[in-house]
Amino acid sequence: MASTLPALAIPGQRLGPVASYSAGPGTHVQQSNVYASIAGPVVVDPAQPGSKAKATLSVSRSIRAPGTGNVVKPVTTSAGAKPAATSAPPKPKLKYNTLPTVDSVVLARVTRVQKRQATVSILVVLDDPASTQGVNPSQTASDNDNIEAILSSAANPENHSSSDELRFQALIRKEDVRAVEKDRVVMDEMFRVGDIVRGTVISLGDQSFYYLTTARNDLGVVMARSEAGNMMFPVSWKEMRDSATGQAELRKVARPF
Amino acid sequence: MTDRRRINGPPSGTRPAVFAASLNSASNIATGRPQRQRQPNELRKIFLKTGLIPSASGSSYLEYEPSASLAAARSSPKCLIPPSSALKLACTVHGPKPLPRSATFSPNLVLTTHVKYAPFAARKRKGHIRDASERDLGVHLETALRGVIVAERWPKSGLDITITILEAEDDRWWGDAPDSHDAPWGIMNVLAGCITAASAAISDARIDCLDLIAGGVAAIVADESEDVEAKPKLMLDTDPAEHRVILSACVVAYMPARDEITEIWLKGDSSKALLGTDYKRSGHEALLDGAVDAARGAHSVLAEAVRESAVRFAGLAPGGGVMQ
Repeated sequence: MASTLPALAIPGQRLGPVASYSAGPGTHVQQSNVYASIAGPVVVDPAQPGSKAKATLSVSRSIRAPGTGNVVKPVTTSAGAKPAATSAPPKPKLKYNTLPTVDSVVLARVTRVQKRQATVSILVVLDDPASTQGVNPSQTASDNDNIEAILSSAANPENHSSSDELRFQALIRKEDVRAVEKDRVVMDEMFRVGDIVRGTVISLGDQSFYYLTTARNDLGVVMARSEAGNMMFPVSWKEMRDSATGQAELRKVARPF
Repeated sequence: MTDRRRINGPPSGTRPAVFAASLNSASNIATGRPQRQRQPNELRKIFLKTGLIPSASGSSYLEYEPSASLAAARSSPKCLIPPSSALKLACTVHGPKPLPRSATFSPNLVLTTHVKYAPFAARKRKGHIRDASERDLGVHLETALRGVIVAERWPKSGLDITITILEAEDDRWWGDAPDSHDAPWGIMNVLAGCITAASAAISDARIDCLDLIAGGVAAIVADESEDVEAKPKLMLDTDPAEHRVILSACVVAYMPARDEITEIWLKGDSSKALLGTDYKRSGHEALLDGAVDAARGAHSVLAEAVRESAVRFAGLAPGGGVMQ
């Protein structure tokens, strides 16, 4: 029962039967068939050889990562596993959903620091925790924005108010800042307005705010400017230093690598 | 509501001068009325392109082919007033974006639709503030689109769909007295165009949809001839300027892959219209089927435009430099 999948799908296009595929992001199931729900290249994620799982069909939402030319060929698969494809070169990161969900890692800019919480606005949703170990923004496929442009402009104190209305807002509560000594947290010594923070979403929250946590070693402030306005580099888990003046400032620092 | 912020044009609109020379013979008026050159089941050509507005997450532009009479009038002008107009509209999709602070929690995508005529879109000038018919169009469009968007995949976010109509369809031929028809028929064509364009723009914004939804219009028109025996006819994609009497018209929003309709808007009285014997169904059913057929036609254009958008989006990004 071999079927040819289209290279490019448009919404409402039938991709294959549920008997041979399971529906991934960008698709939906209707009357035991997988249909595309967005327009874009069709991606087949073959099942692990030997496992009983079916290959996952999805429609990609992102522009391909640079330097990966040959993902989107018309794929002919037989039903079930296709071991040949698993030995393919490292797959590009394809991003499917631009909304933050529980457990997704985000980069956010601090917009307000209060006694009990810090308000941040989410700049980028990173796709998968494994790829964020050493954050290299240019490798992360963003959806509609150039991450480097966002981050360089975001760390700049001048253009804060630009598009916060259009970004999702989130809160980092005092007790979510770090895992130990939660009651000794002083928010002013953890974040400053303008810092870029890496955090994970713990809840979709209420009508207006997501809830983030930075209670992990690899989470916290990744980019910050000192009071003098210079970029700072991390020196310990709670201190960053101005590269020009040598002045130290307190932050909840993310492990840099 | 008066608009105090802008310098507005005359409220009742302006008309180009009609010279006596163009009115001196009755036959001139009769020939001035545009005639339908297409077959009853032949649609106008549609131009549809996506991604024209870079600041929006999705956008589309739709244009109907001008009628043959307009082309003829342009080549040999008898009168300053164009005999008919063709739909032109632009659609933008902004989102998914956070809901405003005042909004309550929503686990689904919140859809907002705005339809606005440009002040110069119709023969009668429209104001800058949306009037009742524009709000009505917005509601109809929202109904049509709500059934096709997979809203639960976008919690806590909103989607704004804004349509600007640059040129609207005529409600009737301009030479007819304003009250010679009982209903504004042009709005039906405008809605069908809005649905098709919005569908293209939504899919350009990569919002999950069940299918591409297309709008189609069909109408039952009384025969032009004076023959009393002549039965009314079913026409697809009617240009209201080309018909003297429209008995009833219908617009549907139709998903071809699922064979589902999300929106029906029927105007006029189709029950009394006795179609000729070559129609097997009653007027009402024939009208609906005709509108669905018209939507199928529009869908083929829509699918091509969306495919084009997907190719541009996925295939032509060498080195990642196109993202800016």
